[in-house]
Amino acid sequence: MMKLWCRQIVSVVRLEMKKTFFCKRGLWVYLLAFAPVVLYMVNSVHITRQRRHLAQIGAEHPVSQAAFNNIKTGLSRENVVAKLGEPYWQRTRYHHGSDGRKRSFVLYKYTDGKNDFMYHFEDDKLTWINRRDPEKLAESQLIFATSFQFYFLRLAVFFGCVGIFVNLFRGEMLDKSLHFYMLTPMRREVLLAGKYFAGLLATVVIFTSSTALQWWAMLWQFERPVIVEFLAGPGPTQFAAYLGVTALACVGYGSIFLAVGLIFRNPVIPAAVVLLWESANPFLPPLLKKTSMIYYLQSLCPVTAAPDKNMPPLINLLISPTEPAATLAAVTCIVLLTLLVLVLASRVARKLEINYGTD
Amino acid sequence: MAVYKQTYKGYSGTRTTPWLRFFILSRYSYARLFQSKFLVLFLAACMFYPLGCAIFIYLSHNIPLLTALRLQSGGMPPIDGAFFNVYCVVQGGLAFLLTVLVGPSLVAPDLANGGMSLYLSRPFSRTQYVAGKMTILLLLLSLITWIPGMLLFLIKAGCAGWDWTRVHAWLAGSIVLGLWIWIVVLSLIALALSAWVKWKVAAGALILGVFFAGAGFGAAINNVTGTHYGAFIDLMKVVRTVWSDLFRNSSAADLSLTQAWTVLGVTCGLCLWLLAKRIRAFEVVK
Repeated sequence: MMKLWCRQIVSVVRLEMKKTFFCKRGLWVYLLAFAPVVLYMVNSVHITRQRRHLAQIGAEHPVSQAAFNNIKTGLSRENVVAKLGEPYWQRTRYHHGSDGRKRSFVLYKYTDGKNDFMYHFEDDKLTWINRRDPEKLAESQLIFATSFQFYFLRLAVFFGCVGIFVNLFRGEMLDKSLHFYMLTPMRREVLLAGKYFAGLLATVVIFTSSTALQWWAMLWQFERPVIVEFLAGPGPTQFAAYLGVTALACVGYGSIFLAVGLIFRNPVIPAAVVLLWESANPFLPPLLKKTSMIYYLQSLCPVTAAPDKNMPPLINLLISPTEPAATLAAVTCIVLLTLLVLVLASRVARKLEINYGTD
Repeated sequence: MAVYKQTYKGYSGTRTTPWLRFFILSRYSYARLFQSKFLVLFLAACMFYPLGCAIFIYLSHNIPLLTALRLQSGGMPPIDGAFFNVYCVVQGGLAFLLTVLVGPSLVAPDLANGGMSLYLSRPFSRTQYVAGKMTILLLLLSLITWIPGMLLFLIKAGCAGWDWTRVHAWLAGSIVLGLWIWIVVLSLIALALSAWVKWKVAAGALILGVFFAGAGFGAAINNVTGTHYGAFIDLMKVVRTVWSDLFRNSSAADLSLTQAWTVLGVTCGLCLWLLAKRIRAFEVVK
């Protein structure tokens, strides 16, 4: 019997493959998944070009590091130009102050070939200096971790799973084609498992490939020795962890939205509730935190994301710090929750009745 | 009457005034919407915050009670632009959720079931159709946004007296204008997406996605590139910039006021273009 069920599951997966990967209704999932890849690519190309540009300017107009170190606030514009020469970029603006006096604001940019120095003059007096160093790999890793946890996991994978898994049953209702499955000599649980695996395959392929491409695009801006050193150290472990977390997110959210698509005629309301619950996770007390998927997924991430700098201090106070779950515990919890939801969904599927008129 | 005698005859009864015809759609839709207990419950829940604000305003002027509680009226947070700005953020968020609930079912079923030609074969224009559908959302959202906001302003005016009202009259204008901008943007987005995807479930998910994924991806753009360009696709941040200006609430914003107004204008224009493209009496089926 088990053999037959497995064969039936494979058949359902094969039938669903085209619908989950190439369905017109689900093409936006690709946009959601691959938008960060484009973002990292554009950023890497821009940084590489800027680095080359700075190196070229540095070679054409060499300025010593000591000369840059001698520049302090309070110097006049003439003094700065005498020490460093003409800037490679400048901008002047005039504003009328509250006393009606015309004031000048000048911005000068210099480079030593690697770092970018920005000098801001107010009425020809140097008021502040901004030094921008080239991005380091550690900074990029932190940026990746933040985007991964706050955009990719919470929104891209979440909405992607809503789109694909809800569509598995609700979409068939809309297309008035679910009865074809119901007429086949196949257990409802087997149909549900087949559909779940089809959705899981699609989401895992789409989102893990997006994660891999994001990772590649993020590393692209760095020079070869930096990448080789990173890949010889913690790189592969981190990469595997990010892929694993993405796949687990698809496993967990997939099961929830498959059940939602089965139970609710309008899955948007439960999806919104789950979204709000997951978004409120940082503010929940420790015990309640453990009832959301994102807590376990974030615990498995190899780099802790930086807190939001723009968050108002009052709201920042509401965030309750909690110890991340252990790896084994986190994986077990996600798998157990998935199994529980799938068992409940299969019980619902056994009593499923078709009512095409309601959608 | 024999069946063969029931041939076509032009309607000879009284007709609704042309400029009021759009309201027919709203009337029928309200009758259907208010059958939903969940919607009624949600509308009631949306009134909790304004009610709390009203109680707070009343208490902050009740000197005997403040004395009994050993509080000073000067120690209470002031009822000013910042207070109404927070009110807009809270009720604006609830208005968004209400739009997700109601918006998708407005146009999508008409398009999906080929009902558009039935509407437009009557003396009823596309503009009237859109106006009728939009009125449903505008009135519902008004109920939980600027109407309670104005009531709060009036309660405060009643408690604080004429001097306060005269000095703070601009607040009333800011409440009405700020929240009207938001409900118009929400209504247009909901109608456009509902018309575009033709499936109410997908339309609801898309409205959620436009706001949440837009904000998330905007934050990702800011995070990765170290710029503020991501704020352009975060509509909540855009409208908060406008509200901050209207309520004279200085805050470090990622967008300038001109940029915020431009983004809102472009969004509304895009939605109107989508609606003009989809709301048609005919459809080419490939």
